[in-house]
Amino acid sequence: MRIEFEEGTLLLPEASEDVPYVEWDDRVKEYRAPAYRYRSLLEWVDAWDGNTSGSTVEKPAQQETIQSTTVAAEDAARAYPALALDPALQIEPREYQQAALNAWRTHDRRGSVVLPTGSGKTFLGIQAIADAGVGTLVVAPTINLMNQWHATLTNAFGDQLPHKGGDGPEQAIGVLGGGTHEIRPITVTTYDSAYRYIDEYGDQFGLLIADEIHHLPAPTYRQIPEMAIAPYRLGLTATYERADDAHELLEETGLIGPVVYEEAVDELAGEYLSEYETIHMQVELTDDERSQYDEEYGLYREYVDTHDFDLWKAEGYQEFLAHTSYDSDGRRALIAKQRAEDLARTAAKKLDTLDTLLKRHHDDRTIIFTANNDFAYEISQEFIVPCITHQTKTDERTEILERFRSGEYSILATSQVLDEGIDVPAANVGIILSGSASKRQYAQRLGRILRPTDERQPARLYEIIATDTMENYVSQRRREGVEAGA
Amino acid sequence: MLTADLARSRTSDGEVTPLFIDPDDARYRETASELVELFETHVGDPKADLDTAIDQLTVADTDYKIIQGLAKLLRDECDFETVAAAEPYEIRQRLFERANDSYPIVRQPTLDEDTRKLDVYTAVADELGISLAECHQGMYADLDANNRLVRFGDQIAESVELDTDGTTSTTQLTGQSEEAYKGEALTVEWLLNRYNLALAQAVLYDATELRIRVWDQFATVFSYVKLFGLMHRIYPIDEHGERVSSTDLAAGYEAILDGPASLFRQSRKYGIRMANFLPALPHCERWDLTAEILVDESANETRELTLDQTAGLQTHYSGGSRYDSDLERTLADKWERANTDWELVREDDVIDLGAEVLLPDFALEHPDSRRAILEIVGFWTPEYLEEKLDKIQQADVENLVLAVSEELDCTSEDIDLGAERLLWFKTGIHVYDVVDLAEKYAVQAASVVH
Repeated sequence: MRIEFEEGTLLLPEASEDVPYVEWDDRVKEYRAPAYRYRSLLEWVDAWDGNTSGSTVEKPAQQETIQSTTVAAEDAARAYPALALDPALQIEPREYQQAALNAWRTHDRRGSVVLPTGSGKTFLGIQAIADAGVGTLVVAPTINLMNQWHATLTNAFGDQLPHKGGDGPEQAIGVLGGGTHEIRPITVTTYDSAYRYIDEYGDQFGLLIADEIHHLPAPTYRQIPEMAIAPYRLGLTATYERADDAHELLEETGLIGPVVYEEAVDELAGEYLSEYETIHMQVELTDDERSQYDEEYGLYREYVDTHDFDLWKAEGYQEFLAHTSYDSDGRRALIAKQRAEDLARTAAKKLDTLDTLLKRHHDDRTIIFTANNDFAYEISQEFIVPCITHQTKTDERTEILERFRSGEYSILATSQVLDEGIDVPAANVGIILSGSASKRQYAQRLGRILRPTDERQPARLYEIIATDTMENYVSQRRREGVEAGA
Repeated sequence: MLTADLARSRTSDGEVTPLFIDPDDARYRETASELVELFETHVGDPKADLDTAIDQLTVADTDYKIIQGLAKLLRDECDFETVAAAEPYEIRQRLFERANDSYPIVRQPTLDEDTRKLDVYTAVADELGISLAECHQGMYADLDANNRLVRFGDQIAESVELDTDGTTSTTQLTGQSEEAYKGEALTVEWLLNRYNLALAQAVLYDATELRIRVWDQFATVFSYVKLFGLMHRIYPIDEHGERVSSTDLAAGYEAILDGPASLFRQSRKYGIRMANFLPALPHCERWDLTAEILVDESANETRELTLDQTAGLQTHYSGGSRYDSDLERTLADKWERANTDWELVREDDVIDLGAEVLLPDFALEHPDSRRAILEIVGFWTPEYLEEKLDKIQQADVENLVLAVSEELDCTSEDIDLGAERLLWFKTGIHVYDVVDLAEKYAVQAASVVH
């Protein structure tokens, strides 16, 4: 019997109907099995050899003929390399991290680990890659998280993997997503990109790591573990259970495996919000900005007021949006609202205030936040500071963050790329030039980036908003959320 | 193709219908014409300028989905490129390194003459041997919004030059150069027809299965089925679309299209491929399709899309077999000059071999009504060839002969070169070798598979 990988499935020429997991495919007159059954099939023919760790073989161990007592199987599916890796991180694993890793190993390197946010799940992932010693695909829900994995993996393994197309270690880790399509023995990707390409690359990785794995049971994303042969699988999350109970799928079908380790939230929480002081600053719109703002905002208000939407409720806003798709006045009102927001967010005088703050803090480590890419780039050009947005290519982003971390760069401008669970090097000054009303985002930014430089000097967070605009309301709501929740 | 947010369709009674527009409607013709002109005038400009101009057209218009949809299709015909005097990444890196030693770099100098910003830009410009303006402009020239529109259809920007003040001066050309451009002239008809096709394609993104029926142009249609890697089962059908027992009785073919993993689970995994395939169908005079469209994957709720030739869709795919090659053209040329009663004709047969359809390249026809079918195999492996011969035998197509290239063989030792029905050739196919085969295997036309 031969096991081949074909477009996210296993094709089994010369198989018979007593082979488990297979179905007869009349279109090709062969038996076929879902790709994730790869390991089980090898175990069935008694040809599974889990001792890959420590091997230094770089080339795919393909075409290997394996004899067993009953069935001979030729493994032509595996196309992933064995890797001998040693994490370059100096950090000792914390106790619970070591326990989680051990639990995963004794579960045949399959299953999920549930740890609270900020407790070092990425670190655990790195240990798992070194432990499994095979080509690995890391899947993250967003491009930001994908980028973060890229940066961390580059730190850990960049020097030990062959570089391609450049001399920096950041070229060693593959990226699939966000405009980059570079498959390497260790590759990071997003759920969306992985879904699109898994049928093509499902044979290239021996370990599948799914970050924020609670997203995975969605019907579309579920095809990622289904179409990969990876005999080792690791899920990471802080919130495993889903309201629809779909997480059970991951366990029952063997797509990932059971939860092998769980650490309660309150054991670890509370450590990472540092001492900081918030300073709110207001700037006026210029005369031109003010008249444009009033005009656009007026258009919007007028439409909303004449239609009685309750915009403070989600349904009211949905109703408004619905109108904009068939009513041309509504469409204009929506655009007016967006234009007014943009005017407030990018008010010229914010740059003057930023100017003052940068003078005051030119010896500090500062991160500047904007809510739109253009404004971040404007600041980058104006003050010659490195800038990261959604558009920044993964390699460059990793490099900028590394240089900021090492102190080579002391100022960093960024648009909203610091959401859910993102690691940013510590700074002692944060400047928010504009933001969204998301309370969670605000709190996470504060907690994650600000570290006092010494005992006497608390970290500073500045928020610069335009007076008499929608920003006032948004800012207020944000603070209420944080103070109530903190 | 259209992105999902620009798709427009209506659903009722479990049926989904793309909201086609009438390509003759003056309203849409005007919009299309306006857009084409707008793209033309922006050749050479930054992408952001073009986008702003398009957005401006949609400010107070509820047809904005149509406008943005049409614009998307035009954007697909464009090339955007980074225009900079030095590698932007290089410029940035040097700027940030240098600036980090010079902070604060400010806009309102505290001292009368604070020139740090200028110093940093100038120093980097000098290092790179470019002008100050080029340095400033080039810093983020690789951002999507700053990329320049360098080709639109068959029009290209002849040169995009930077003025000393950092703004652009572009010389625009309207496609009269001797160079052959890959684009085609983009007309209002082209755009509106492409739009309707794209609306139907957008529905197919969510398709789990596609059933097609065609009554002509089989070779073209099935070559696209293969091109997009769709798995298929093919059944012969009669004039009314009813399945018949043998290909002898076939007036057309019905095919069910999906992908390998659909054996295990219904999913929209192959929707993009099926959408890509759609433009092959309007090559036919008569065709129809039925697609299962997945609405809610977890609830497995589906709707149905049905279309046929009356929808008036126009194709932009090229017709004819996709397997045309120099080899075949040369053989046809040689045949013209050769002295034989056998005639070489382009073939439109479809032979179902189970896993795949065989779309033979030629038929050989004799005036006495004998007929053989010739398939040229250029690319093969021993396994592939063996399998193919096996399938041909199973399919029982007695008059099919293969011409196989020795040049591209991998390990010919494994193959019995004397295998029946095979003609091995090195660089070209000799007419009389083919004639010999035809004499041997041809059968009376009455019993050929057709």
